[in-house]
Amino acid sequence: MSDIKADVKMKPVDAVIVGFGWTGAIMAKEMTEAGLNVVALERGEYRDTYPDGAYPKTLDELTYIQRSKLFQDMSKSTFTFRHSITGVAVPYRQIGAFKPGTGVGGAGLHWSGMHWRVLPEELQIRSHYERRYGKKFIPEGMTIQDFGVTYAELEPHFDFVEKVFGTSGQAYKVNGIVVGDGNVFEGDRSDNYALAPQKVPYTAELFRRAAKAVGYHPFVNASSNASGPYTNPYGCQMGPCNFCGFCSGYACYNYSKASPNVNIMPALRMVANFELRANCNVVRINLDGSKKRATGVTYINADGKAVEQPADLVIASAFAYNNAHLFLLSGIGKPYDPVSNEGVVGRNIAYQMMSTIQTFFKEDTNTNPFIGAGGTGVALDDWNGDNFDHGPLGFVGGSPAWCNPAGSKPISGIATPDGTPAWGSAWKKAVKKSYLNTVSFDCHGANMTYRDCYVDLDPTYTDKYGQQLLRFTFDWKENDIKMSRFVTDKMMKVAEAMNPESIKVSVKSVGDHLDLRNYQTTHWAGGTAMGADRKTSVVNRYLQSWDVHNVFAVGSSVFPVGIGYNPTGLACALTYWSAKAIREQYLKDPRPLVA
Amino acid sequence: MNNTFTHTAGALLLALASGAAWSTTAATVPNAQLIRQGEYLARAGDCIACHTAGTQGKPFAGGLGMETPIGKVYSTNITPDKKAGIGDWSFADFDKLMRTGVTKHGYTVYPAMPYPSYSRLSEADMQALYAYFMHGVKADPTPNKAADIPWPLSMRFPLTIWRWAFAPTPQPYKTPATGDAQLLRGAYLVQGLGHCGACHTARGVGMQEKSLTDEGNTTFLAGGGVIDGWSVPSLRNEHGGGLARWSAAEIAEFLKTGRNSHTASFGAMNDVVAHSMQHMTDGDLAAMAKYLKSLPPSNPATPAFVADDKLGKQLFSGIVNSKGAQLYLDRCAGCHRSDGKGYDKAFPALAGNAVLQTNDPTSAINIVLSGGAVPATRTAPSALTMAPYADIFNDEQTAQVVTFIQTSWGNRGTPVTAAQVAKVRKVSVPVQASQTEATFAAGRHGTFPSVARQPHLKDAPAK
Amino acid sequence: MKIIGISPHRRHFLRKAVGAAPVVALLAGAGGGLAMAVSKDQPAYKPRFFDATEWATLTALVDRLIPADGEGPGALESGAHEFIDAQMNTPYAYGALWYMQGPFVPSIEQFGYQFHMAPRELYKSALAGVNAAVNKQSGKPFVQLNAAERDAVITQLQKGSLDIGEVPAKVFFNQLLQNTREGYFCDPVHGGNKDMLAWKMVGFPGARADYMDWVEQYGKKYPLPPVSIA
Repeated sequence: MSDIKADVKMKPVDAVIVGFGWTGAIMAKEMTEAGLNVVALERGEYRDTYPDGAYPKTLDELTYIQRSKLFQDMSKSTFTFRHSITGVAVPYRQIGAFKPGTGVGGAGLHWSGMHWRVLPEELQIRSHYERRYGKKFIPEGMTIQDFGVTYAELEPHFDFVEKVFGTSGQAYKVNGIVVGDGNVFEGDRSDNYALAPQKVPYTAELFRRAAKAVGYHPFVNASSNASGPYTNPYGCQMGPCNFCGFCSGYACYNYSKASPNVNIMPALRMVANFELRANCNVVRINLDGSKKRATGVTYINADGKAVEQPADLVIASAFAYNNAHLFLLSGIGKPYDPVSNEGVVGRNIAYQMMSTIQTFFKEDTNTNPFIGAGGTGVALDDWNGDNFDHGPLGFVGGSPAWCNPAGSKPISGIATPDGTPAWGSAWKKAVKKSYLNTVSFDCHGANMTYRDCYVDLDPTYTDKYGQQLLRFTFDWKENDIKMSRFVTDKMMKVAEAMNPESIKVSVKSVGDHLDLRNYQTTHWAGGTAMGADRKTSVVNRYLQSWDVHNVFAVGSSVFPVGIGYNPTGLACALTYWSAKAIREQYLKDPRPLVA
Repeated sequence: MNNTFTHTAGALLLALASGAAWSTTAATVPNAQLIRQGEYLARAGDCIACHTAGTQGKPFAGGLGMETPIGKVYSTNITPDKKAGIGDWSFADFDKLMRTGVTKHGYTVYPAMPYPSYSRLSEADMQALYAYFMHGVKADPTPNKAADIPWPLSMRFPLTIWRWAFAPTPQPYKTPATGDAQLLRGAYLVQGLGHCGACHTARGVGMQEKSLTDEGNTTFLAGGGVIDGWSVPSLRNEHGGGLARWSAAEIAEFLKTGRNSHTASFGAMNDVVAHSMQHMTDGDLAAMAKYLKSLPPSNPATPAFVADDKLGKQLFSGIVNSKGAQLYLDRCAGCHRSDGKGYDKAFPALAGNAVLQTNDPTSAINIVLSGGAVPATRTAPSALTMAPYADIFNDEQTAQVVTFIQTSWGNRGTPVTAAQVAKVRKVSVPVQASQTEATFAAGRHGTFPSVARQPHLKDAPAK
Repeated sequence: MKIIGISPHRRHFLRKAVGAAPVVALLAGAGGGLAMAVSKDQPAYKPRFFDATEWATLTALVDRLIPADGEGPGALESGAHEFIDAQMNTPYAYGALWYMQGPFVPSIEQFGYQFHMAPRELYKSALAGVNAAVNKQSGKPFVQLNAAERDAVITQLQKGSLDIGEVPAKVFFNQLLQNTREGYFCDPVHGGNKDMLAWKMVGFPGARADYMDWVEQYGKKYPLPPVSIA
């Protein structure tokens, strides 16, 4: 628990928001519309398209990728990792496998833009698998659970998120009627996307043709890199994505990647009842004597002073795992203990089970991989979720697969065929040949949750304020590796149908451990899981803390399982869903909303 | 436990309307309606722009310095403070100043104050303005700053002579018995409170606007030369730099939001949009637009822009035939496109843009060097920003790329020299970020009441 | 005078110009951007961080990692070694971007860097350590080995089979290879990738950041030369 004491006390506000990324900005917009006085606190610095994404200085791979300019300052705070309960955790000292965000806009400023909803059955993952495959199918120790909310309940919020983001895509079915060449596996929709799909670069087109040829169902995936100039329901404007290839890790210079800074903040600027304070690191949510009610938060400001901000409503919208960290430091909810299997805060931590297939073609193929954007590409859901019969296979979950050309740049992004040395003339020859003649695609697998994969407070290492770091106990499990190998095998057929000179596959083998060195993805989920049962969840289906009813947690921290898709669409839809409950139910009569 | 969540939006507006707390002069407090009307008119006249010292200054307390050919003058305190402001001015005093430029104390103000335009206000509007400044504005004790003008230039009697020579005989505007009401309303606003001619009409040797109305001339609003490094365009319905290609609706949209499908606002016009025009009713904006569209060309022979897509097709294929074209493709086409068409209201078109059809490239040069941002307004809050290129292009390169955009895709502008660029570079100021931490600070100016939830969110359909 | 997007015509002109003045590209706030010379007619680079022996050793190592050959520039021609030297004066080299609080506990390789040294210290220690180890096994310093011998030593470093003192050999190899690649392929404003030759070799158009016209021109070779951010 954090014991930092405040020197200064601010005037009370109606709502305080901790962490100003996507979910914080959505909550700010919703709460200000409801007439509340809202203060948002962001630990990182103020950031915006201009000047942080200013053209052309932003087009600098070294600064923004190798030197991680927009990402978390690891020297101030990080996490520790161990593979198992018996291990000793060591710090994640350099940014590698995942890239923690920070700053105004959060990771939302510099994310990719892959925009998804969720497979309807993933929201009821446990009951769905038990119904279809029997109660014994899910193994002991796999702690997946239903979210407690249905796709139908979330559908209008998924739709609204897409309208706010300017999401470009093609729906398959709208209100039950097929309207176009979309994803035949997606849940039904009440409306098409905000904009038409993005154009398809050559790399993804080669993938699409091959996927179709082998009988799969490829579609142009939805992207929150706008396919044209756009004005969203808040009056905020986007420019069109021109496939510049400097996407993930960069602030978009021409307003075409949806971000809180572009899509929500201009509207918040215009209302008097919203205030944003940057460089304010919340160290604790404060509770009253009963421990059942929050009185506000304490934060460290830019001058290093500890400040108390009283508030009637606290929204925890820190990035994913950081919400669990905040709850643990604040004493909200019982910390999870994997040995006794009791407690809730920190349980159900999930990552993403990735594999990659790279195809190498002859010279003068000119795949031009420098052309692309974070959300661009072609995907297929044939092997995602429960879209195929798991009965004979003996694992839970699946992977969407896609060719997502986001812009390959030379320092980090030139793939070479199997067996290429890492240096020397042979390496040089290989990169020269490969760069313009490669197509890469991924299987972006779901990740189940397990009894012994969780977070808690580290006993040894601290952040710059002397607070205990968050400790991850996490490793890959056989279930997810088997799933990944199965899907990768299916996707090899696509690679072969593309008729390359050679194919290189990166897939895990059973027994492989979590490796933090090479970049995979930043899609951590869980830690403050949502659910119907307070014994296995931290927040109820409205994302309200079971223990402290004026505290709500939003973001992928509430997922009780790692879904197959990228999490942003679902995290944001859940935030609007929670905001609706706050506006329509909680504000009128503040109380626990679920008995 | 506090079970209520207070709603503070609108509270300030109520306090303003009541006005009672801040009035110190009039024996009777005029009704809230008149004060609100006056506030609206003060926005239309954009009094705040000159009578407030930048973003830090107190509203209407004066102190903004303005360079004139003879030295620097400072705007005055027009709050109802009795010592430092105009709190002890009667309506007659106020009316005389607004129409004739003569103060209560008998001297003439510098024509930085556009009284020749304001002389056209109706009696009713003048009363409303007076009511607003007496009862709707917070009194501020900041004393007026003396002008930085050396004697003998500081003597005021030449201003009286100027006024005799160039100011119109003040007469309140009389609505004619017949005529298009909307057109007349537009003329009233443009010629009067809008004082558009103060910038957009050329000035004579005495620095007087060459014409104050559209009667009997085609110089009114035909363009005002160069001010502060920006060329001031024609607002008449003409080609070659005027508004011929814009519809009335597009003009109104531009005034309200600083952007339309043809272009984006820049330079001094940004403040006009943000402080003044965005507060006008849609009806008044439509009237002003209609009036501008009614102004015939000063030179009817100027040809219309005709699009030429040959160059765009070449650039699309990577065929580059000049240094200017190369620079454009390297650094500009990302937003403005190889065909110069831009992207609707996000990034303005260069092909056919009125800024690029004349022989005065000052604005084009200045934008390239300084960058620019559209103003954030209530209905269009995104301050889309173009980064400055002053450190990327030298004078020669700037001249090449500006020549390119002036003369490509059918544009009729003239080529540009490095010497012209060097001149503009001296006065260009790099664009500042306009959405910053400060624009989210507590107690900031320029906010509006929160809008209640939109009816866009559908409830989940019954399944 | 600023030059951007050096087209072949411009480069030709630069080379020909009498007493060609160095072309300086300066970028504020680019996280380590420094004033750099792009023209080849520059006086020899003087390292600011490495001493003479370290510099010679570093140069020789970098040269073998990406050698000069017919395919394209070598790391030295691209200035990767100069880049590394310049980087040593950035916060990165002081370890400011990493979590450097103790205790430092050696761990399995999957948990990445657990070493207590920041790059500045690491390079100094490792370069001395390489020479000490090579001296021990070959009787001469690294710079006196021939190309094949140098490659053999680098392979030992890569495999971790050479004891170079406090710094684990693999840790040094990974650091060096990473920085060499960065210096080879970075934007020229950082001091490496001179004349964008490495970009030209692989066909990366640099900081153009607009492919709206090209996204659907399938299979066509992109014709425009690379540009830098300055």
